[in-house]
Amino acid sequence: MNSSQNGTDEPLSHLDALLTRMKSAASPLREVLREIHAKYASLDDGVVASYIPELAKANPAWFGISAVSVQGQAIDVGDSDQQFTIQSASKPFMFGLALEDHGREHVLSKIGVQPIGEAFNSITLDQVANRPFNPMINAGAIAAADLVDGKDYPERVTRMIEMFGRYCGRTVYVDNSVFTSERMTGHRNRAIGHLMLNFDMVSDRLDETLELYFQQCSLLVTCHDLAVMGATLANGGVNPITGVRAIDAEYVKDLLSVMHTCGMYDYAGEWAYRIGIPAKSGVGGGIVAVIPGQGGIGTFSPKLDVKGNSVRGIKVFEELAQKFGLHVFEADDKKKSLISQFSPPK
Amino acid sequence: MSKIVSIHSFRGGTGKSNVTANLAVTIARAGYRVGIVDTDIQSPGIHVVFHLTEDRVTHCLNDFLWGDCQIEDAAYDVTDAAIGNVAAGDERPRVFLVPASIKTSEIGRVLKEGYDVGLLNDGFKRLIQKLNLDFLLIDTHPGVNEETLLSIVISDRLLLVLRPDQQDFQGSSVTLELARRLDVSEVSLIVNKIPPGMDRAQLKNKVETIYSAEVLALLPLNFELVRMASSGLFVNRYPEHPFTRELNLVANSLIK
Repeated sequence: MNSSQNGTDEPLSHLDALLTRMKSAASPLREVLREIHAKYASLDDGVVASYIPELAKANPAWFGISAVSVQGQAIDVGDSDQQFTIQSASKPFMFGLALEDHGREHVLSKIGVQPIGEAFNSITLDQVANRPFNPMINAGAIAAADLVDGKDYPERVTRMIEMFGRYCGRTVYVDNSVFTSERMTGHRNRAIGHLMLNFDMVSDRLDETLELYFQQCSLLVTCHDLAVMGATLANGGVNPITGVRAIDAEYVKDLLSVMHTCGMYDYAGEWAYRIGIPAKSGVGGGIVAVIPGQGGIGTFSPKLDVKGNSVRGIKVFEELAQKFGLHVFEADDKKKSLISQFSPPK
Repeated sequence: MSKIVSIHSFRGGTGKSNVTANLAVTIARAGYRVGIVDTDIQSPGIHVVFHLTEDRVTHCLNDFLWGDCQIEDAAYDVTDAAIGNVAAGDERPRVFLVPASIKTSEIGRVLKEGYDVGLLNDGFKRLIQKLNLDFLLIDTHPGVNEETLLSIVISDRLLLVLRPDQQDFQGSSVTLELARRLDVSEVSLIVNKIPPGMDRAQLKNKVETIYSAEVLALLPLNFELVRMASSGLFVNRYPEHPFTRELNLVANSLIK
């Protein structure tokens, strides 16, 4: 039994975890994911991100797909244990930490929830409300990082890393090479930060906040981790594998809402139309998606389209959304239970 | 519709591999295509009964698990050894065997490195499809390990082989509990090596009561089988033996 089944925050026992893993290994979804992986492994469109020099070192062939259910079953296909930096896929989770630290009203006074249909690094601010438009673009993410509490910088970094650890179910680490690269080349983000400081949108500890933001983007994850993070949100904020609460249940819908409307950069509207599930991408090649009440899906493939989303990742989600009727507005008779696909048929 | 049957025992020495081999032959004789996979990677042996010698084996289950071949490349048609000559054009009956490696280095590699147990599931499905199998019998390693649990998960039927022995009784309870937690739909029991003079009806009743599962066969302690020393298939050599008659009951239960 896990928390999603018994209403407690109990982790899976070793035996339960083993039996769950065996069921996952025999699940029909594993076969579906393997087929999709094989279908798109040869897709060669897109380019690996290079505006941060360290990102350009990624192997363009890397390709992983993971799915984790709210019952803690996990299916991993391809390069699912290959580490990469989380980049913008971290943004919803930091937004969640800001909400926990300050509450909804205060955070909304500092960061909007309005999609703008512009690129992730656009220098656009809501000057009427005196705040960035939403937490999924860099300006809003920097404002969210600014709201993360801590008596000093080390404590804020520790709190951030511990928060991501709760979502992933393991200790996460910063890739120092990427962090250094981000910090050396992050002039645009500094400009965004200083512009916001000029308008009193962020506090005057900006340098520290930018460091925190660069650290946040440089965290190393796998697409299995992304799937666990997605499953945690799908499970009301409790990691279904460890039973540990990662975020107050009250704020889960806040994260899912902004992921749904703003999570995929300037492709967000089309994503909502075509695929229709809350998701967030990162220029490291990861995409984390949430099927509320059912599970999380993570994909990783470093080649990006012109809007900064993983080409193969989007294909995977298009296929899964169609196959299982995942779209939030899908007609009931077209919806299939993804969660039932995690267990072998009996 | 193909059926996957796992044959398992909690302890070694129950006669599980002999039961598997002879059961495969009995089912095949009824006109079916039967595959056997030896997932007892740590202590393989079922290939011996089918006279599958090392010089004939180019690939085995281990090669598939390392990604060096497709599962069907590791499957050997052992129909001739199993049931004698079948016309080349006849699709049925057939018996295929996927052996595990008996090379020390290969066994050591599995123990040291492990493997993605999910691949086994992929392999089983592909084997059924590629060889058009009616039945896939999985010979498992005694006790509880990942490949055993996986084979239990994906089985349509689990056959649990045990001896009338207190240690077997206790261990089989563990397996049954796990099988039920894994939602296995049908678990049946085969009691093997029953010594002469033991009350069979009483034994059957006792075992069925303990485990709440059907006893499909009560196999006698079989000296002829011991004397054969894995040199061939018992049901072929002793078609009227009580052991063979009991195995027919198991085969019929699986076929129906």
